[in-house]
Amino acid sequence: MDPAIEVKDLSVVFSSGNKEFTALDGLNLSIPCGQVFGFLGPNGAGKTTTMHVLLGFISATRGEARIFGTDVRESIARRRIGYLSEHPDTYRFLTGRELLTMAGRLFLIGRRQLASRIDEILPLVGIGEAANRKIATYSRGMMQRICLAQALINDPDLVILDEPTGGLDPIGRMDIRKIIADLKARGKTVFFSSHELSEVELVCDHLAILSKGRLVAQGPASKIIPPGESLEKYFMKVVNNP
Amino acid sequence: MTRILTIASTVWMEIIRKKDVYVLLILLGTLLMALVSLNVFGLGGTVKYVKDLGLLMALIFSWILGVNISSRELPSEEAQGTVFPLLAKPITRAELICGKWLGTWSIASAATLLFYILITGVVQFKGGTFNLAALLQAFILHSLTLGIICIIAIAFSTRMNQDASAAMAYVVTGTAFFVVPRIPELMAQATGFSANVLFLLYNLLPHFEVFDMRKRLVHDFGPASWKMVLIVACYGVLISLVFFLAAWLAYRNKRFSRGNLM
Repeated sequence: MDPAIEVKDLSVVFSSGNKEFTALDGLNLSIPCGQVFGFLGPNGAGKTTTMHVLLGFISATRGEARIFGTDVRESIARRRIGYLSEHPDTYRFLTGRELLTMAGRLFLIGRRQLASRIDEILPLVGIGEAANRKIATYSRGMMQRICLAQALINDPDLVILDEPTGGLDPIGRMDIRKIIADLKARGKTVFFSSHELSEVELVCDHLAILSKGRLVAQGPASKIIPPGESLEKYFMKVVNNP
Repeated sequence: MTRILTIASTVWMEIIRKKDVYVLLILLGTLLMALVSLNVFGLGGTVKYVKDLGLLMALIFSWILGVNISSRELPSEEAQGTVFPLLAKPITRAELICGKWLGTWSIASAATLLFYILITGVVQFKGGTFNLAALLQAFILHSLTLGIICIIAIAFSTRMNQDASAAMAYVVTGTAFFVVPRIPELMAQATGFSANVLFLLYNLLPHFEVFDMRKRLVHDFGPASWKMVLIVACYGVLISLVFFLAAWLAYRNKRFSRGNLM
């Protein structure tokens, strides 16, 4: 079985005029199906850049990336992905239900199946009653929830979440944890980045820590964190002394 | 095709929900006022003037509408960050461009149809008529012109912000409307470098004059041969495809900014 995500020697160099900036430097990752994988690192470490390569938004300068064995540059690779972006925003002129209908159609889901999927997903993200209201009237937390709903509309096998709990209140964070636990129970792979280390500790099986575009730690959460040490303390140690 | 239609229908909903339709109503009202006010100058009985002015205004208004709505679609996706969840779905950038074009072109064409209906109504009110076959041909060719205008604006918007792409689209399409038909006259007097520039412009820019059937309608010349309409339509499709290609080449590897999205 192909891994959910496979990244080999991935490098991304941004150039502006004569200046070059290495956002990712020889990243290697192999994430089997069914894992909840926490992708950590300080700001500017290359987490979002990695996600953007996986989603085909940007091309790698060197190396390769595959999703379920398909090259990420092919649009077909995104059929089994759900993605929640770092700054979730969407078409505010649509209602929540219309947004999900639009997202479902882009995955070519049939009308009946889509309607039942929407009915299933709206209560899951806690948008049930507001589904027929325009998104322009939603709070920031509700915006985050409806964007998460559109990421899950195709019942994806791989969910990529970039800072999914940012901007959410404690209840919202708990809901996200429940959704991630539910996805894991259903054998889905979750790849997510977060600065909330306590959240990561609670939900992740495996961790990878990135610093200045390089992988500085990787492995099962229970093994890489030394006994008696918190993830936060370990994170600070490896990021400051890679 | 479903994905393209989904994007296009979202463009329609945006235009309607964001009240852009009011701009259209204002344009329609302006057109109606202009046509009716011809009486003020004692020209009300002259149906030709009503036709001429009405069709000219329909052309200008649809041009403005086409450029304005087409030039903002892709830049606003990027500015609001909605391009990320959109492209995270199994949609290609070519499909996104096609969907945006289909949405903006169909809206501009629908608006043009409303303009034509209004003009026909006023012309009939003043005792005149249009040859229906010629009117249909004029509408088809007008709509094809809008297709080219929309894809030119979208092509610029793949690499520019909304204001810059609208400005560039106005310059290029404005030159195509008003300068290109005069180039043969200008070339007769030009020499050297300026002659080469004029030659280049004449061959690079679309020839909107071949889509323009206003004189035929105003002077009741009757319809053109459908064979000619077909040839001109093929030319319009070809020009549109050239700009589609340019838009896709500029957009296919574009790296989106992710700063200041909130």
